[in-house]
Amino acid sequence: MNGDPLLEVRDVYAGYLDFDILRGTNLVVHPGEIVCVIGPNGAGKSTVFRAVYGLLKVRKGQVLFNGEEITNLTPQQVLRSGIAIVPQLRSVFPQMTVYENLEMGMFVESNKARVRERIGVVLDLFPRLAERTTQQVHTMSGGEQRMLEIGRALLLEPKLLMMDEPSAGLAPSITRQIFDHVRRLNDEIGLTILMIEQNARQGLETSDRGYVLELGQNSFEGTGQELIENPEVRRAFLGGR
Amino acid sequence: MQAIINGIMLGGFYAAMMLGFSVIWGVMGVINLAHGEFVMVGAYLTWLMSDGAGIDPFVAILLVFPIMFVFGYVLQRVLINRIVDRPHLVALLVTFGLSIIMANAVKLRYTATPRLTDTALSGVWSPYGGVTIPRTKTGILVVALLIMAGLYLFLHRTKLGKSIRAAAQNKQAARIVGIDVNKIYAITFGICIAITGVAGALISSTQAVFPFMGPPLTLRAFTITALAGLGSIPGALMGGITLGLVESFIGIYVEGIGTNLAIVASFALLWVILVTRPQGLFGGLRPAEEPQPL
Repeated sequence: MNGDPLLEVRDVYAGYLDFDILRGTNLVVHPGEIVCVIGPNGAGKSTVFRAVYGLLKVRKGQVLFNGEEITNLTPQQVLRSGIAIVPQLRSVFPQMTVYENLEMGMFVESNKARVRERIGVVLDLFPRLAERTTQQVHTMSGGEQRMLEIGRALLLEPKLLMMDEPSAGLAPSITRQIFDHVRRLNDEIGLTILMIEQNARQGLETSDRGYVLELGQNSFEGTGQELIENPEVRRAFLGGR
Repeated sequence: MQAIINGIMLGGFYAAMMLGFSVIWGVMGVINLAHGEFVMVGAYLTWLMSDGAGIDPFVAILLVFPIMFVFGYVLQRVLINRIVDRPHLVALLVTFGLSIIMANAVKLRYTATPRLTDTALSGVWSPYGGVTIPRTKTGILVVALLIMAGLYLFLHRTKLGKSIRAAAQNKQAARIVGIDVNKIYAITFGICIAITGVAGALISSTQAVFPFMGPPLTLRAFTITALAGLGSIPGALMGGITLGLVESFIGIYVEGIGTNLAIVASFALLWVILVTRPQGLFGGLRPAEEPQPL
């Protein structure tokens, strides 16, 4: 790809207690790309995420963002450096309105005019949310809540959006909508996205490039289409055929 | 009629008294068994100011609030922060121990002699019939309502208040958006203890203040929380008044029981609620389902 990578995970070792889940994982995301990481359960997909975001200690190796080392920073520091995260499990505040949730997404910004401006921009990107700014979030569908999480992550104008299994717990048709929206965000505002997907086929179809992670190491790498057509990847993750 | 008036006034006080207990539980999951002792400390502070410097209890509130806030904030940082996220039993033991320490420390310093403060608001109004409206208790009710309204507006209208609600509803998500959850906890604890101390200031001119007055108050806080749902302010008001009415009616109409045994009503009410509606009558800060860790 062109130019310097936006995110680079270099030979990272990380895990829980004294057991390494990631054993020399490498990953590169270039500006403007959608990159998808697939792999079986327990391969360390979510661990990559936690290691980059500072939720888990990196024991060996480096994480570089925008050419600067961000290895083992706190989540707050990573957030400020320009990476936003949409975790797998619900991260909305259920008994607050859509608007309050967005306000909380701008917690680190103290300029109120700027908060209003950014919320306006995000609501323009997500018309579904704009229709229901005063609705209590726990009364919305899973897909709408996921949209809210993505919208909230975009408030701080991140250079990179990381999503951990955006399809988790959603019906296939809703997943399709989410992926379409992600694709559109990538086209419209040039958003760079790194996602982890259990739903390998839809994830790869949406992405420019993909990685296959097995036992904490990457075993395959290629464009989304290459991986979908790769016989070994097909057999292992895409249900044969 | 008199029972209703007494009950509502008592209930207003209970509601303000238990808010801190309920919000601490709702926001950080800590059941504070030393809650009544914080009321007691607030009452003693008021007595000291009233007895030593002649400050009216209703004025003393203005001083009790900041003093108790600092007390609560520091206590959270050095002690309570270590038991958040641990099993409930740890919090129960630590706060139970804290209650014993607080009660006995106060007893050592000021003896167990019951104290009472005087307020310029004493006396009663008798508008008609045999009904009397005690002025002090009216003042207490007004302050209690102001506290509740103030806390409600704080939690719903200010950025700090909203971030407290956010941390209560989904701690991991709060961290993701950059909220310093530990700091929020310390501020929450400080505010709750400040309100609790003010409740102590309010009660000091209508009830005897003594070192071991805490446990029955903690019990009532428990009962009203069960009635109200965690951290629900309208629920606190309704729950407080319900308990106030029940106690007041039993005190007046049940022969030979008197107010001392009215606390039995708390147990009975708690039992009935837990059996029939364990989630509380009014909902609250917490979502229906517990948010899961990231």
